Amino acid sequence: MDRIVIEGLGKRYGRQWALRGVNARFAPGEVVMVIGPNGSGKTTLIKCLLGLVHATEGGIVVSGKPVGKDPSYRAGIGYMPQLAEFPRELTVEQLLRMMNDIRDARSGSSDDRLINLLGVDALLDKRISALSGGMRQKVSAVLAFRYRPEILVLDEPTAGLDPVSAGKLLDAVMRARREGATVIITSHIMEEVQRLGDRVVYMEDGRLRFTLPPELIAEATGEKSLSAALPKYIAQLPPQHVEGL
Amino acid sequence: MWKVCKYTLIDLARNRFALGYALLLLVITVGLFMLEPDNTKALITLTQVVLALTPLLALVFTIIWYFNQYEFTVLLAVQPLPRAAITRAQYIAVSTALVLSFLLGVGLPLMAWAPGPVAFTLLLTGSALTLVFCALGLWIAVRQRDRARAVGIGLATWVTMMLLYDTLLLWIMFTFSDRPIEPLIIPLAALNPIDLSRILIMLRIDLAALLGYTGAVYQQFFGSGGGMLASAAALLLWALVPAALATRAFARKDL
Repeated sequence: MDRIVIEGLGKRYGRQWALRGVNARFAPGEVVMVIGPNGSGKTTLIKCLLGLVHATEGGIVVSGKPVGKDPSYRAGIGYMPQLAEFPRELTVEQLLRMMNDIRDARSGSSDDRLINLLGVDALLDKRISALSGGMRQKVSAVLAFRYRPEILVLDEPTAGLDPVSAGKLLDAVMRARREGATVIITSHIMEEVQRLGDRVVYMEDGRLRFTLPPELIAEATGEKSLSAALPKYIAQLPPQHVEGL
Repeated sequence: MWKVCKYTLIDLARNRFALGYALLLLVITVGLFMLEPDNTKALITLTQVVLALTPLLALVFTIIWYFNQYEFTVLLAVQPLPRAAITRAQYIAVSTALVLSFLLGVGLPLMAWAPGPVAFTLLLTGSALTLVFCALGLWIAVRQRDRARAVGIGLATWVTMMLLYDTLLLWIMFTFSDRPIEPLIIPLAALNPIDLSRILIMLRIDLAALLGYTGAVYQQFFGSGGGMLASAAALLLWALVPAALATRAFARKDL
């Protein structure tokens, strides 16, 4: 059974459609890489899924619950934004406790592996204002993974992280996938997309142009690397090709 | 809601602006009482300072705070929380922090130099104005996407309530001075929370006598139990309506 079902999703800002006619289904235990040029609708798609943006038409169903006014479906979602900002005067420990309280998580029910792996345990008594951008990203990653979410939404997760921490984070993504999570990642790093993605969702002009496994894209163009294959594959698509229509 | 409120308050308790605001009010109040031997005169000056400063700082602080917290607010909106609970928690936390700063900065010296009904009314109206302008600030901030524009609207709101509205009232009073318009002025004054607060404090200081017939009308209405209740209800509405509008706007907003 699909965990996320998107049907006829559209979002209009004024007269401008940021997203139109998007249909997609995402299953448990798969990593979906959402890619596309700037302004293609990736962020709007993810924000619709998170309930941050209200759809103009169509809808999304997450684990059988429609995305709408009832926020309970978000208990199963972990989100790591591209820009991690927290209340500056709280300590990291207070921030973690705040999220625990909001999620009604009892001790032992949360997953603290990433705290140790990313070295966040050494930052617990530090105030957020004393953390660098990279350290805040690590805290953000910990919060996203902490409550064993069914769905992980990661927006440019490795941006601002050192290579070692980025590697550990991507390992955590693969572990979450093995444990059955649906992982949705936006990324501009094609090596990351090729390494992690079970499927690539390509967005352009607010439309979902195609969803394919990265190896099929490479195969269709005769290229080994996705960064070389993708431009070729896009160039050979019919101009009006839209998946799901 | 209370979980978000609790940690927001912990954050605000260490906020330099909130602490600086309390210190500024403390210095002004202590300075006024030390420089002015007549406590009534000091109270009148303090009233003018409180009526000008409290709304301005509550508005500007709430707007800037909202924009500084925006990314975290988005993260909260992704948690299994109703959006209304987030806005309510933020409103309660910000207004509580500023009311406490106000009570610390103005309340402590007032209790030392001029305890009594005037001081009590000044503290009550100052706190009410903080609640009102925090709610207005939050409403303005939620409805805007650009911080500078939101601050601009906030400042324009303050100038309107502090200066323009009074100018308009004065113009009406002078233009129609040959007619009995005082009863009309009462509801008009109640439409502006700053004017309403000013009248309530001035009546306690007993300066209404200096205002002639208008003062007598004010005294008759606002000095009565019913008038006090109506004033309190008006100030409460001034806080609750913008707070409710901010909650509704945030619930409908695309983040």
